[in-house]
Amino acid sequence: MTALRARAPHLGLGLLIAVFALFFLLPFAGLLERGLGDGGAWDAITSDTALDALVLSLWTSALSLVIAVVAGTPVAYWLTHARFPGKGAVEALIDLPIVLPPTIAGVALLTAFGRRGLLGTPLDEWFGVTLGFSTVAVIMAQLFVGAPFYVRAARAGFASVDGQYERVAHTLGASRLRAFGRIVLPLSWPSLAAGAALCWARALGELGATLIFAGNLQGETQTMPLAILSAFERADGLTAAVALAILLLAVALVALAAFWLLSSRNGATP
Amino acid sequence: MTLEFGARTTLGDFSYDARFEAGNEIVVLFGHSGAGKSLTLQIVAGLLRPTHGRIVISGEPVFDSGTGLNLPPQQRRLGYVVQDLALFPHMTVAENVAFGMAGADRDRRLGEVLDLMHLAPFHDRKPRSLSGGQQQRAALARALARESSLLLLDEPFSALDESLRVELRRELIRLRSELDLSVIFVTHDLREAHLVADRLAVFDAGRLLQFEGREKVFRQPANRRVAELTGVANILRGRVAAAREGELVVEAGGERLRAPAPSGWQPAEGEAIDLAIRAERVNLRRLEADDPGQPNLVRGTIREELAYGATHTLRFESAVGQPVEVEIAARPYEVLGVAGQRSWTLELPPEDLHVMPVSPEAPSSAPSASATTA
Repeated sequence: MTALRARAPHLGLGLLIAVFALFFLLPFAGLLERGLGDGGAWDAITSDTALDALVLSLWTSALSLVIAVVAGTPVAYWLTHARFPGKGAVEALIDLPIVLPPTIAGVALLTAFGRRGLLGTPLDEWFGVTLGFSTVAVIMAQLFVGAPFYVRAARAGFASVDGQYERVAHTLGASRLRAFGRIVLPLSWPSLAAGAALCWARALGELGATLIFAGNLQGETQTMPLAILSAFERADGLTAAVALAILLLAVALVALAAFWLLSSRNGATP
Repeated sequence: MTLEFGARTTLGDFSYDARFEAGNEIVVLFGHSGAGKSLTLQIVAGLLRPTHGRIVISGEPVFDSGTGLNLPPQQRRLGYVVQDLALFPHMTVAENVAFGMAGADRDRRLGEVLDLMHLAPFHDRKPRSLSGGQQQRAALARALARESSLLLLDEPFSALDESLRVELRRELIRLRSELDLSVIFVTHDLREAHLVADRLAVFDAGRLLQFEGREKVFRQPANRRVAELTGVANILRGRVAAAREGELVVEAGGERLRAPAPSGWQPAEGEAIDLAIRAERVNLRRLEADDPGQPNLVRGTIREELAYGATHTLRFESAVGQPVEVEIAARPYEVLGVAGQRSWTLELPPEDLHVMPVSPEAPSSAPSASATTA
């Protein structure tokens, strides 16, 4: 009986599912229809603006992912095992950027690292270094909004590995590093991969924080989302915006597909 | 291989204090859960650091609170099988076993260990596709592959069903003699302890109560608690009526019982003592077969009876003023006609009676059994 019901949902529920699905599918259909039906789309995709933005988006988001993984992995591992007062508060603080609206993140970054920010002022005065409105700022904005996704997933992944495995590995002669590399990493790999994918996707789509903290300069801080916004703001911009959006969508899909393929091949299936 | 172990520590409300030495033998750490058995293994392996103590493996100190020495687990050469085995789930059996191996002839030695543990056919299998017994072998093989002569086993067979346990215990005894191993074996199963132990260490509430040869612990428990833990059904409170050379006369209830004088300590006349005798050591005699000249005969009436098939357990109300439990095999039970007769004479053979001090602080029968740290 239950199996039959599950196969043939109630009429009302079926309708709800259909409407919900349409809500998510129609925008993609719209994009494709507009993009393919418009002759100017190809020109927009192959324009210098688009290429500059795409290249910038790809390498900055990749670099912020690398930084997030390199710095976030030890932090997440330490947070999983450490016990200290106020640990909950630290964890909440690390998670905060996940729920923070990106524009607030941008303003916050500006007040810290901008020319007149907390750290930005001494950097500017003593070393003549300006972080705001540079490519570095783009990466910082992406890292700020993206890395928490990775750290959060990594923490969950590490916590899911039974500590007994590591202890046994030690008694079998493995150093902490070897136990981590041979036991913890392979066993938490699916979580790490999912976290990395989320982190990268979030960095790739970053708009608000980048706009406020890094600005919108072609070739320097104008990433794909910013290029789409700029194109849209022009009088005849919808065509270009649609074209760029399709391009970004395609790149993201290909990258994610490659990523999942890679992680499922290397991944541990405990 | 020798192990000198001494450690003292507290974990919350739990205080732990034990010292013992082990040589080329199977030492069974026996006790209820929470007695400190597994803790002992963790301390030996270096997974838990005691506050005080000294641990020496084959002459090499691995921990010494006096000098601050504390080798990490990876530098203590020993094999450790934890209770839940902790086989690495993402590795094959061969990868698991080879994990702790190093050196040029690794492949050859891996093959040897797999053969030794009958695991060769499962070389490329993941642990979860193995049966419980095979997993157990794989964990044992992984620990043996360290080529250490000290093996720590934490309730290794507890998750297996009885027939597999029997097989693996036999295998362990074979391995011990084949590989010349020293094994520290944790169990809370009395029969298992008796079967595999050369020497038996009885733990209770973080203290080592007695550590001696298996037979000695079973026949001459150091005190009431050890007797209880090792399954002595009859522990009778009595008083020394007379102390002669090598023999005591003990008064229990209204009866006078002869018992051998304990070794290692000398109870005074009038001193309260505990008298232990295992249920299977008590003989049943027909009332009419009473011989007034023979010592240690006590009248008793059956009050409760439990039939286990192969044996019967009878609880007597007896003349010593305390209940006496008797275990009798099915055959003599039938031959004697116990079923139709309630009143019997109980014979408590003097050589099977064991006198123990009442106070737990009193010296036990051998110096090595002392559990307190100086």
